[in-house]
Amino acid sequence: MMNLSTFMQHLANGISLGSLYALVAIGYTMVYGTLRLINFAHGDVFMMTTYFAFYGISMFMLPWYVSFILAIILTAALGMLLEKGAYRPLRDAPKISIMISAIGASFLLENLATVIFGGRPKAFPSVKLLMDSINIGSVSIQRLTFVIPIVTIVFLIGLLYLINHTKTGMAMRAVAKDYETAGIMGVNVNMTISQTFALGSALAAVGGIMWGLKFPQIAPLMGVMPGLKAFIAAVIGGIGNIKGAVIGGFILGIGEIMIVAFFPSLSGYRDAFAFIFLIVILLFKPTGITGEKIAEKV
Amino acid sequence: MTLLEVKNVSMIFGGLTAVKDFNLTLSKGEIVALIGPNGAGKTTAFNMITGVYKPSIGQISFKGNDITGCRPDLITKQGIARTFQNIRLFKDLTVLDNVLIANHLHLKSNFLEATLKLPRYRREEKEIREKSLGLLEKVGLVNAQSEKASSLPYGMQRRLEIARALATNPEVLLLDEPAAGMNPKETDDLTEFIYQIRDEFQLSIFMIEHHMQVVMGISDRITVFDHGVTIAEGTPYEIQNNQKVIEAYLGVAEDYA
Amino acid sequence: MKQKKTLLTVISIIVLFIGVYFADQNLDAYKTRILNLCAIYVVLGLSMNLINGFTGLFSLGHAGFMAVGAYTTAILTMPDAVKGQNFFMVPMMKPLDTMHMPFFFALLIGGILAGVVGYLIGAPALRLRGDYLAIATLGFAEIIRVIFTNMQTITNGALGLKGIPESSNLWWTFGVAVVTVLFIGSLINSSYGRAFKAIREDEIAAESMGISLFKHKVLAFTIGAFFAGIGGGLLGNLLGTIDPLMFRFFLTFNILLIIILGGMGSITGTIISAFIITIAGEALRFLDESITIGNFVIPGISGMRMVVFSALLMIVVLFFNHGIMGTNEFTWDKLFNKFGRKPLVKGGNKQ
Repeated sequence: MMNLSTFMQHLANGISLGSLYALVAIGYTMVYGTLRLINFAHGDVFMMTTYFAFYGISMFMLPWYVSFILAIILTAALGMLLEKGAYRPLRDAPKISIMISAIGASFLLENLATVIFGGRPKAFPSVKLLMDSINIGSVSIQRLTFVIPIVTIVFLIGLLYLINHTKTGMAMRAVAKDYETAGIMGVNVNMTISQTFALGSALAAVGGIMWGLKFPQIAPLMGVMPGLKAFIAAVIGGIGNIKGAVIGGFILGIGEIMIVAFFPSLSGYRDAFAFIFLIVILLFKPTGITGEKIAEKV
Repeated sequence: MTLLEVKNVSMIFGGLTAVKDFNLTLSKGEIVALIGPNGAGKTTAFNMITGVYKPSIGQISFKGNDITGCRPDLITKQGIARTFQNIRLFKDLTVLDNVLIANHLHLKSNFLEATLKLPRYRREEKEIREKSLGLLEKVGLVNAQSEKASSLPYGMQRRLEIARALATNPEVLLLDEPAAGMNPKETDDLTEFIYQIRDEFQLSIFMIEHHMQVVMGISDRITVFDHGVTIAEGTPYEIQNNQKVIEAYLGVAEDYA
Repeated sequence: MKQKKTLLTVISIIVLFIGVYFADQNLDAYKTRILNLCAIYVVLGLSMNLINGFTGLFSLGHAGFMAVGAYTTAILTMPDAVKGQNFFMVPMMKPLDTMHMPFFFALLIGGILAGVVGYLIGAPALRLRGDYLAIATLGFAEIIRVIFTNMQTITNGALGLKGIPESSNLWWTFGVAVVTVLFIGSLINSSYGRAFKAIREDEIAAESMGISLFKHKVLAFTIGAFFAGIGGGLLGNLLGTIDPLMFRFFLTFNILLIIILGGMGSITGTIISAFIITIAGEALRFLDESITIGNFVIPGISGMRMVVFSALLMIVVLFFNHGIMGTNEFTWDKLFNKFGRKPLVKGGNKQ
């Protein structure tokens, strides 16, 4: 049987995993909200961050916080580049083309990473300040486990403020509603979409760094599974909806940890849960928890 | 004999009532028109009859069978075919293919018979081709049969859409703005053409049309929509002299100016 | 006229098999293997094109169907002794451990099982559209892979299967490829094929023409899955080893690349492109050898080749949206026209 302290430990793990999914899911949901596109390469953008941070610390000997900030900026730039190179030329092309381009971009990043950084996993540098454990009663939990949700919440509040209370945010909302009309109304559509990608990628970068700290092994394909799961989180929450993505991230993170904790015999199927969950949601409530139904015009 | 009967049908999207208490009876051989300003809910009424939307309230029956909220393909199978306001041809396929496709619903052979070209399928395919070429002959498109549908001029695309609808062997044909975008000559031909197909294929026709000359000339009866509500029904003569209709069109409400 | 074209087709097939005979006699193992892969990728490309290109369903579940076919065929053809060697961790489930049959039947059962799985997945998933369908099918393929990793008594889990009889020779692969081309070609040009294309062009119009979207989507999906299973079976029994990692999304990506390059909705394009991609894949192997870029010395890692491939996919999508053939096909009529004769039959007869 599971005692309370073990349960709390699992819950804390679930929340921090959920936070990471949430941060990555926001990027999916923002891009989907704007371009109606599943940015397949988003998980790989997330992977690239960990390498940026890794090289910042190990090769250029930067202090960890400088390296992390640089990694976030570089990732935002990568996101913008991705949009410009792979998606913008196809904005009015059939949907299937732009999705294939996204898949191509994803594989390109993965393989470039393999070629440039090597296929063998690398050890992500550890930050002592975050790694130490603290004891609460009989439970010993890594500081990071608390830092992750707090950082997530801080960034989420910042993002919601930006989207709801600034001019840039207003432009983003307008473009997400209807980019053609927004363009006619004088919104710089290309710039706004770029900003959306930059913002989404930066949040994924934050997630990536914390992922690297939590699971300190980085590899070119490490972004695939977290990417898919974060996407699933976005769908669960109702794709296009930022709060939904966060809720979805927590549901998925906590659910995944708990199922494995309660049914250890199913641990081999861990990665399948998310997909099963996805399919169930898609079939019974394809618009997610928060979504609304849109009728197709005939 | 009443073929199509629509009883107190309403369509509500969220908080918006697009169509309210719509009633219609269509008898064999009749031509009934539905008119009204833009956004009056005419196409929504079509979409409910053809199963694209499921009505929120009310009942639609065809030859005595309840077809309310049935799947569009099953409704077509029962004998109601339609055209679309914004022309929905299979653009990249040939003119002939467009018509051949509309015969598929009556095909009896299964996919293996079709793939292996077994005798029953070969017989059916031959019949389908002959019938489709005949239809193209009637609408004057037989020479364009191997062109891409999207390469046809606008008026011809409308005709192709009608030919395609006819290929499903309908008893009731729903035409959504068949004269839209046609020049005066094409419009004149259209009236003649609609009469011709009605007689030849023994159709009842329910049409949405803005072109008053066509509507007044061709319809047995007319229903007028405004903001989803039926504001008038009657013969072309009655409608022409109906005060409400005149107001709806000429506009006390200036948003339709 | 029609008979003449049929005759030409028959002659071409005979010529092809004479070629296969000489290739079988003269080529070394390496070249034979490449040709085998080409033919297998023709089968796989066509099966995916039927779903994605002709019916317009964006499905990314191909690797899953292939896994079903590959495992079924392998398990049904492996000798008992080999099975015993493979399953040293946990014994194989009875009666599979002593079951075997000729390659043909094993392959057919593999295809049928893949088709059944396709049907079971398609029936719920095909209610979804566009990118939702893509992600759901991708999810199903992953689920299949995870299940295969965990069903140790049937699949030997993560260890995979080794020593599968290498039954796929040129006769088998090209034979199956020819049958697939003829079957899918004939299906596409039948009334059912027209219905598929109608769904691709405009679902709402197709449904209004009396075409049951569900029935036809599931049909295309199931037939596609069947041939994917056959292709998977041929592949497993060519390579001699399979494991669950082989059937990751990456494999689906390869096939996607083939149909995009060849043209979504073109059989001819798929055939050409399957050969190009497979041969280019081998020819570009040198890229994976040691390379020196500035200070970096990159040891032989499989990566550079895939960089080229992924870049190729993007270039095709960005700049040559229609691929090699678009939706066009090679037909005898077109060939005659090329040689300056007048059109044989004016119109109507596409194939």
